[in-house]
Amino acid sequence: MNIDSKELNDALVVTLEGEVDLEHSPQARKALLDAVAKNNKVVVDLSGVSYIDSSGIASLVESFQTARKNGGGFTLAAVSDSALRVLQLARLDKVFTIAATVEEAAG
Amino acid sequence: MTSETATDTIISVTEERFGDHLELLSEMSRDFAECGDIEQALRMGLERIADYMDAEGGALFLLNDEKEVIECKACVGPVDISGLTLPKGKGIVGRCVESGHGEIVRDVSKDPSFQGDVDAKTGFKTRSILCAPITVKDKHLGAIEVLNQRGGDGLFSPSDLNMLMALGASAGLAIVNARMAAELVEKERVERELELAAQIQRSLLPSPGGEGFPVSAVNVPARMVSGDFYDFFTLEDGRIYFCLGDVSGKGIGAALTMAKATSLFHCLGKAIHSPGHLLDLINTEIAETATQGRFVTMSAGIYSPETGEMTLSNAGHEPPLIMDMNGQFTEVPAAAPPLGIAAGIAGPEGFPETQHSLEGGAIYIFTDGLTEGYLADGSEMGTDGLKERLLQTQASPHDVRIDSVIGLIHRGGTPLRDDLTILVLDDSDAVKNRPNHAKHLPAQDTDEEGAWLVDIRLPTQPAMLKIIRRVTEQSAALCGCDEKTAQDIVIAVDEACQNVIRHAYRGEDGELVLSISKSDDNMVVRLRDFAPPVDVSKIKPRDLDDLRPGGLGTHFIKEIMDNVEFLVPADGEPGNVLRMEKRID
Repeated sequence: MNIDSKELNDALVVTLEGEVDLEHSPQARKALLDAVAKNNKVVVDLSGVSYIDSSGIASLVESFQTARKNGGGFTLAAVSDSALRVLQLARLDKVFTIAATVEEAAG
Repeated sequence: MTSETATDTIISVTEERFGDHLELLSEMSRDFAECGDIEQALRMGLERIADYMDAEGGALFLLNDEKEVIECKACVGPVDISGLTLPKGKGIVGRCVESGHGEIVRDVSKDPSFQGDVDAKTGFKTRSILCAPITVKDKHLGAIEVLNQRGGDGLFSPSDLNMLMALGASAGLAIVNARMAAELVEKERVERELELAAQIQRSLLPSPGGEGFPVSAVNVPARMVSGDFYDFFTLEDGRIYFCLGDVSGKGIGAALTMAKATSLFHCLGKAIHSPGHLLDLINTEIAETATQGRFVTMSAGIYSPETGEMTLSNAGHEPPLIMDMNGQFTEVPAAAPPLGIAAGIAGPEGFPETQHSLEGGAIYIFTDGLTEGYLADGSEMGTDGLKERLLQTQASPHDVRIDSVIGLIHRGGTPLRDDLTILVLDDSDAVKNRPNHAKHLPAQDTDEEGAWLVDIRLPTQPAMLKIIRRVTEQSAALCGCDEKTAQDIVIAVDEACQNVIRHAYRGEDGELVLSISKSDDNMVVRLRDFAPPVDVSKIKPRDLDDLRPGGLGTHFIKEIMDNVEFLVPADGEPGNVLRMEKRID
């Protein structure tokens, strides 16, 4: 799994790539919570996620809740098919704000 | 010193006077014996003697040791000085109280101890004083004085002193008797009130539930009142709410706090059907009004006779024991501090709750008075002793079981160290009315089925999940699954392995065996671990309306796979088998 973050417009874009599983989700969780603490507008690019499990989803939920509590924005962007499938299984596809592209989310 | 002490005085009285003396003394003794009011009797005695001696006035002083003063309790004469206090040892009367000797002071102006300021205030002119102590054995209680003899030379004689000494002695006895009687009355009053408190307290405990009711409880107070309590009642939906608690400390203070805690439980429990939330509320109520650092340990739960499911919350209480049908014990340790220490310590979810499936077993909640109680051989019963007795009496009805446990400690004759309280909730009758109750019990795994594709043994490390995913994906393809279905099966198997790593082994090193086979139109995945048996009833998919991290994995498995069951390993070795089946269209 790879994690990268960069600023785009006034948003902080966190890119998760590869397999976000039990082994790697602690790193993802830390990166996401850091981003939420740093920036009021966070976009998570999930286009390169080939696999995400319940622990990875839990990290997204926790960061989403933290952002919302602080009045910040938290958007998932360019969600890969495999990540979308897991979000659907968790019935979270209607809970998260999901944008088609990173640019749209950060715009 | 111008006075003469009684011991120096030669007693000389005429025959006639002696007869008068006897008559007067017998009258005074009768007054003391007959009059319920000691102060009135003393005043009557004083009046009789002042009259007899033809004195202008008289006063009776009693010593108040606590305040270190002498106080005038009765007086006769033109000036009322009752209630007057003098510092201990002051004045002629004070000296008499202190020394215990009678005195005749013929001319007070020559006695340096004389307190002229009382005369100055009252306008009375004291010339001579006759003073006798009130003593019983060696205890100095006070003194009686008479002032200014009217007739004759105006001076008191040694025979007058003897007379007054006799009055002092009988007054002393009367005072001691009266004080003892008052103490006795007070003691009886306190005992009556305690008995009343004990009656009210017993009325706060629920009545026995009757034939077939699954809960029974016993409370034996060590003293008249108890700091232990229990309660149980049936909710409208048929579930049973129950609790048992122990207030720190003993006696009436603990009993009052117990009354508060049990009333809060009974009242709030009817509306709040979550033991964790209920304990949170009771905690805040008690913490806001707690006195002397008093706190309450308490376990509360809700049980459904229909399903055997029980939700329990334990606030600092001795771990309740769950005994299953096979006589295996599980303790439920406290996950929260006792109630009343700090308000508002729980979050929005209340105090922690645990879920249990009784499946014909029983839960025992008790106070440490029981486990720390002495057996006949002088040793403490302990939790092990309790378990042993419960196993011995397993076949008896639940009320007989707890009576038997109590009987080990409460043998009669020997005083109890602490209150004894135990409550049992028994699912063994209710389980018989549950037609599907057997389905929770894991079935035996069958031997191999279908065509085996994979059988690998791996260490339970998160890094192994990648291998498991690849193997599962390839196997699914071999079974004829399309890519989407294969991806779903990968998710289910990955989550099942995570459950083994995180819950079965609790993060400890272990091993798991992944076996995949194809049987008819099904792909069958078996996950075998070697961890202690899993309580199947605790594994539940989470409520998806409840948005919070975690708890999703089991939901994914049940959502994706067509059939999921826990089985007992076919080889008879310890561990669990999770068998998952996916239909291939």
